[in-house]
Amino acid sequence: MNDLFRPAPLALTIAAALTAGCSNTPWSAEQNQTATKTSVVAHYADLAHATYGDALITARALDEATDRLIANPTEANLNAAKEAWLAARVPYQQSEVFRFGNTIVDDWEGQLNAWPLDEGLIDYVKADDYQHELGNHGATANIIASNNINVGGESLDVATLSPELLANLNEVGGSEANVATGYHAIEFLLWGQDLHGFESGAGERPVTDFAQGADCTNGNCERRAQYLDAVTDLLITDLEWMAAQWAPGASDNYRAQLTSANADEGIQKMLFGMGSLSLGELAGERLKVALEANSYEDEHDCFSDNTHNSHYYNGQGIKNVYTGTYQRVDGSRVSGPSLSDLVAQSNPELDKRLTGQLDASMKALSLMKARAESSQNPMAFDTMIAPGNAEGARIVNGAILALVEQTGSIEQAARQLGIEALSPDDAGHAF
Amino acid sequence: MHLFTRLCGLIALVAASVSTHAGTPEQAVLEQFHQSIKVGYNTLTTETSTLLRAASAYCEEPTTNHRKALNKGWLDAFLAWQAVRFVNFGPVENNNLAWQFQFWPDPKNLIARKAKTILKAEAPVTSNLIEQSGVAVQGFPMIEFLLFDEQQSIGQDALPAPRSCELLIKVAEHVNHNTEALASQWSDFRPHYLANALYQETTLKAGMTALEILEERRLAQPMGLRGNGRRNPYIADAWRSGNSLKAAKAGVAGLQNHFLPGLTTLLDARGESSLASRIRAQFNKVADNFPAADAPMQTLLGDDDRFRALQGLYVDVSQLATLVNDEAAVALGVIRGFNSSDGD
Repeated sequence: MNDLFRPAPLALTIAAALTAGCSNTPWSAEQNQTATKTSVVAHYADLAHATYGDALITARALDEATDRLIANPTEANLNAAKEAWLAARVPYQQSEVFRFGNTIVDDWEGQLNAWPLDEGLIDYVKADDYQHELGNHGATANIIASNNINVGGESLDVATLSPELLANLNEVGGSEANVATGYHAIEFLLWGQDLHGFESGAGERPVTDFAQGADCTNGNCERRAQYLDAVTDLLITDLEWMAAQWAPGASDNYRAQLTSANADEGIQKMLFGMGSLSLGELAGERLKVALEANSYEDEHDCFSDNTHNSHYYNGQGIKNVYTGTYQRVDGSRVSGPSLSDLVAQSNPELDKRLTGQLDASMKALSLMKARAESSQNPMAFDTMIAPGNAEGARIVNGAILALVEQTGSIEQAARQLGIEALSPDDAGHAF
Repeated sequence: MHLFTRLCGLIALVAASVSTHAGTPEQAVLEQFHQSIKVGYNTLTTETSTLLRAASAYCEEPTTNHRKALNKGWLDAFLAWQAVRFVNFGPVENNNLAWQFQFWPDPKNLIARKAKTILKAEAPVTSNLIEQSGVAVQGFPMIEFLLFDEQQSIGQDALPAPRSCELLIKVAEHVNHNTEALASQWSDFRPHYLANALYQETTLKAGMTALEILEERRLAQPMGLRGNGRRNPYIADAWRSGNSLKAAKAGVAGLQNHFLPGLTTLLDARGESSLASRIRAQFNKVADNFPAADAPMQTLLGDDDRFRALQGLYVDVSQLATLVNDEAAVALGVIRGFNSSDGD
């Protein structure tokens, strides 16, 4: 892989140094400077750059861990790869707030985080416990077991599993559920199908699925390893590209375009991203649908049962954008002029309320996380949404309500800042 | 995946109350909206009672005539729901009634999966079981599955198998009970609705959102005009019974009956009578242009000539959505905020 971009640029180091030791003080208070829309949008780009930079750092660690697993398929190496995957999700899920509103991210992210997926496209599945998307001709194609697959009458050569091939196979046959690439494809290769339904327990792929020679279980171990190698390499290339889009000092990347446009456009994208993730995506698609339909098919990280963390770090990403802060994976802190500073200038009461609501939604998501990770009696997200689980429903509903409430204030913040068009159509016309 | 309407309106209700004054045009329009939606909810209740009676009659005596009446009972009740489906605020938000009536879309075929689980189990099919089984079990799509699903209707459990009949009747009871509760709560809701001027904007936004959903999710997406370009009938409404277009047509008629009169009254009061006339004319054009609405979406998507007719409808709906959601929204000062369409 070519290194298009290397992380830890100078600007971030400076930003982190500036705020060391006073992490809870608003940037404007300690800088004795007034945040402007222009400085807030520029700092938003810094946040995105730091977040994608961390996603890249942790993806490289994941790639190294999977390479070790492939070279030496032991339980310890499988567990290390799983740990690396879980760590890689922490920054990536915080980056999702950049997705809505920034078309460049939304168009790109399907290759990294598409879900739910019809995993039978990739590898073997237990047929009677596998419900794929209606009308998806690729749902049982099993790329790993085949040199040639047929999707909707089209024959495709899949003999050599390269990153390019996998990228081309994503959404093959026109189905969004044909996810050949990204975090969830890797998750499936590491954990396997979760056959526990609403009961506790995640996927249980045996490490021998990667064993060489006669120890290989479920067949095609060599191709499975090739697949894992290619799909992790592709993740790095994709993240390198996105991190470079947000890097300072370039004249032809997305950051340059965003920061040279009218600052109102940038502010609109920030608020649109926060509100869309908060209400439609997280509260709606990822929490409410799963809960109200009791559907573990709609669980985000369904193979690993890491869904609570995906939700938690989505919420954190929303808060990051409002407060202009981000805690990097090395523990350092990025901070700068924020939406919070801007709103406080003209309506301190609204800023206080929205800040309080963001804290409240993080508290609700923390409760979900704590319950799922409890050492005594853990309850994973897929158990919380089981029919008749009153405690689980209470936890999930608590998070939904907190997110809905904060979205109301995000709308008000937008109006406070003179941004009136927030609906997706208006966004389309405005940009 | 888009589960679109499901959170709309929640925010609107959190808003602070602003009182209206008796005798103003605003007050009259709220009265008009309330009364009209009440008629729609009452029709829905009547139709679900008929459906329930037809289900019981068929299961007692499974004759061809009873089956015909049952199929018709389902369709009439489902279409009565389409007519008021745009109302995404007020009592329909209690206990997620809208989701209970229609879990949609269902790309992972959860309806079939839940039906099979219940049909395979031993426990008696009780009201309590339906209560506990989640929104995919509790509404029109579950009954549609039992009546129209191809696989289901040739399997061992096909109606009038006793267990399928039990499920059919219990779900029909559940739906009927929910419509009764909704109609009665809507009447109780009247003073609150009339006293709060913000409901005018809430109601306008509800109609606008419904048009957006019709254009984007019920037409453009199945037609393959969005995203990856694949035509996919399974993300349309009511694909099992081939009633996607009939449902869309009933939705437009519902907007014409329950939404358009209030909208045009407001436009007239703002001196926008010409825009009001154009919107009325465009509604008529859409209603008249439903291409062979009896045809299943699958048929329309699979035949180039018929697909062209569907495209014509789509263009008319898009023009209607532009008139209402852009022009009328600006004229009436309606600012549309976040809704659950903003996800992916």
